[in-house]
Amino acid sequence: MMRKLRKITFILFLVGILGVFLASGALAEGIKVGIILPLTGKLAKFGEIEKKSFDLAFEEINAAGGVNGKRIDPIIEDTTGKPDVGRSAIEKLIARDKVVMVGGGYSSSVTWATIAVAQQRKVPFLVNTGSADKITEQGWEYIFRLNPPVSEYPKGFASFLQNVATDVKTVAILHENTLFGQSGSKKFKKQCEKSLGLDVIMKEGYEAGAVDFKPLLVKVKSKKPDLVYMVSYIMDAAMLIRQSKELNLNPKLFVGGAAGFTLPEFQKSTGAAGEYIFSATLWTPSVPYPGAKRYFDKFVARYGTPTEYHGAEAYAAAYVIADALKRAKSLTPRAVRDALAETDMMTVFGPVKFISYGKKTQQNRLPTFLVQWLNGKLETVWPKEVSTAKYVYPFPKWNER
Amino acid sequence: MEVFLQTLVAGILKGGLYGLIGIGMTLIMGVMGIINLAHGQLMMVGMYITFVCFHYLGIDPYFALLVSMPALFLLGVAIQKYTLNPLIEVESILPENQVLMTVGIGMVLTEVARFIFSSDYKSVQTSYSSSSFFIGEISFSLALTIAFFIAVAFTLFMFWFLLRTDLGRSIRATAQDKDAALLMGVNAQRITILTFGIGSALVAAAGTLLMPIYYLFPDIGGPFTRKAFVITILGGLGSTVGAIFGGLTLGLAEAFGATYIGMAFDDMIGLVIFILVLIFLPSGFKRITKV
Repeated sequence: MMRKLRKITFILFLVGILGVFLASGALAEGIKVGIILPLTGKLAKFGEIEKKSFDLAFEEINAAGGVNGKRIDPIIEDTTGKPDVGRSAIEKLIARDKVVMVGGGYSSSVTWATIAVAQQRKVPFLVNTGSADKITEQGWEYIFRLNPPVSEYPKGFASFLQNVATDVKTVAILHENTLFGQSGSKKFKKQCEKSLGLDVIMKEGYEAGAVDFKPLLVKVKSKKPDLVYMVSYIMDAAMLIRQSKELNLNPKLFVGGAAGFTLPEFQKSTGAAGEYIFSATLWTPSVPYPGAKRYFDKFVARYGTPTEYHGAEAYAAAYVIADALKRAKSLTPRAVRDALAETDMMTVFGPVKFISYGKKTQQNRLPTFLVQWLNGKLETVWPKEVSTAKYVYPFPKWNER
Repeated sequence: MEVFLQTLVAGILKGGLYGLIGIGMTLIMGVMGIINLAHGQLMMVGMYITFVCFHYLGIDPYFALLVSMPALFLLGVAIQKYTLNPLIEVESILPENQVLMTVGIGMVLTEVARFIFSSDYKSVQTSYSSSSFFIGEISFSLALTIAFFIAVAFTLFMFWFLLRTDLGRSIRATAQDKDAALLMGVNAQRITILTFGIGSALVAAAGTLLMPIYYLFPDIGGPFTRKAFVITILGGLGSTVGAIFGGLTLGLAEAFGATYIGMAFDDMIGLVIFILVLIFLPSGFKRITKV
């Protein structure tokens, strides 16, 4: 019995090895591009929506003839949302798979850890989601970023504050305490105090994944801010809102700093409590860029769920990658880097051009938008030119609905 | 004052649930002498069962207790009978290979859940999920309050069971001295199997009770295993009363820490207490309560 089992295991092992050889043989023809995303772990939901969008885009690109007749073969690695795993993932992509460039990069902490490897190994990395400001503030010539940094997320919201919500005077900022939340909240605080003339009466971090946010929210309630601004990943966002309702916490405005507040899951897990919540966002299907709506419809038709800005970032990144590979003089990391630096194109996510401004280098600059959950749908409410619905302001009190 | 009272209420309500999570682990610890590192993952399975019951069969989470607890009892029994017990008889390099086995089981459960349900976040939206009632200025989450009382009821029932029934006495006897229990004619193997089943059922109850207010994804087990571990150590390994104190202490410490120190240190506060207890009260609250 035991011997038989061993024999079977051995055969299975051989088959496995053979499979690996066959698989790597088949991959050898195309251009290898590494994509790193969190596909398991806490942030898997974001990774999934980006992976689906990358898949969609690369399929389209390959179906349309690929890059100068060659297929793009994305090699997607899972970071599990942890910086150390991310590091070994990118090391593997560069050393073993010999990719010409790397894309993806979800969550600031992981991206921050991985770009250092890319820069050191001189392989271009097009970041499409990791948003901590310092990612493009190092002057690293191999690092490019498609999405705006987190400090610019509330740009659209700031104009809303100046034009509509002019009676907002005091602000409470809550943020999850990893790089994304810290960076976003710090920059927003500065912006409030310097350019918006608001009084930040509270700024506090929390550990993501908590069961009970009441102690934090009670403190917020006792300070009575006009605006509660939250930088959160997905389920914390839903918990914060639901528990605010339980505590009857009624500021004039609840605003999320993108990330967790725009995913379809937010609506699913808050139900009616999610109504009227605002969020900054980088993209909505109604943005005035060519193909935005088409991408949205395609995604829905294919996967049966709506997509949002993370997906659009990934989809656009795939096209930027293909464009750079097309223009690259040769398929070496150096040549691809040079091609990326000269990118000037239109994507579903907006115009892409890597420029330097302030402390940042090779950073794409884009406007941001303000959305609001109305009747269970995410509607663009600001700027007015692209809005799909009229905003509801101030926030209707919980106990008066 | 309002802030203080609200924090106190939040801490106690959460502590009751933590106690329920801890009791399951401490029972297993007491009888088998191993830390069950798949405890949070078993809770995750219980939560998925609740989710399926609610979503596909329309069963309210509180009635889903009747499904999730027996199901997890059976799962626990199977785990103990077919994966942990056989290990006792095998000569091994490490004496802790049962513990290692539980780590493996935890991973398998997580990945199976991911395979079936994907990494999506799931939640159960009941009519009372985000409703609350007020006593004075203090808000009580309806679901969390109900969960607290059910948790207390289960805990009391466990006491009665352990102190008054034959089976309970056998479990305690096995926990106190396995050899002596064997000599007295207790079927220790059967007891370990039953204990693992009961422990799993209890943590499934905690998971089900948490479901209306929390959310669910395959990796949710890990943090709760860690919490259960801290609670068990706080309470003193194998002590049921200790687990309740441990749960309440952790709940209160987290709540007060969040209010007066900062919520960013949520996990740190629990672990600092954990270290302090290990240094100054190595056998946990068991030393004070003597049960």
